[in-house]
Amino acid sequence: MKVVTKFFGEVELDDNKILDFPNGIIGFEDFKKYAIMYDEESQSETRISWLQSVEEPALALPVIDPLAILPDYAPMLEDELLKPLGESEDEDLLFLLAMTVPSDMTKVTANTKAPFIINAKTCKGVQIIVDNADYPVKFNIYESVQRMKEKAGE
Amino acid sequence: MLALSRKVNESIVIGNNIEVTILEVKGEQVKIGVKAPKSVSVYREEVYTQIKEANKEAVSDVAQENLKNLFK
Repeated sequence: MKVVTKFFGEVELDDNKILDFPNGIIGFEDFKKYAIMYDEESQSETRISWLQSVEEPALALPVIDPLAILPDYAPMLEDELLKPLGESEDEDLLFLLAMTVPSDMTKVTANTKAPFIINAKTCKGVQIIVDNADYPVKFNIYESVQRMKEKAGE
Repeated sequence: MLALSRKVNESIVIGNNIEVTILEVKGEQVKIGVKAPKSVSVYREEVYTQIKEANKEAVSDVAQENLKNLFK
């Protein structure tokens, strides 16, 4: 199907690439169909993609693999909350964090408190608020990446 | 907003499958129990609002160049 996107213009997408979020995402519950888009060139470097609504072109969020910024990301949540995703094994689940990208690069943050969880097998997704007390809504990515670079340099 | 008064252990039914029960009242704190299907998420309002605002910011606040340079 043809999808009009916020940053990639009009794109032709396989229907089986469309993700179904039965409960939408928090604050945008009416929008249930999404696709993950990325710029092939920069994606391998940045691990940043876009969660693009296929129903509303303006609704697109930058998302990142949590392990790229927090290697020991271990979200705790009730299994029941994953029911909307259908049957899944741990390895079918993909976690993505919404990023806020202001013009000041040192203030780029990721939402570690409410990841998007996608079941690669059923192509269904949810946004879950996790139980961990120490995962903030605004986790500063810039600081984390600096720390990781320092560690790598040791 | 509909306002109803309940005593401890009394409940309110919403729709046909959500039940809210007052479990305990201790001074200013009220413990509330919610019975709802798994498909219905239940959050403390301030947490829900915080996530909603964060999602909205993620949609609107995007300085593209910063995304590319993040890991350099």
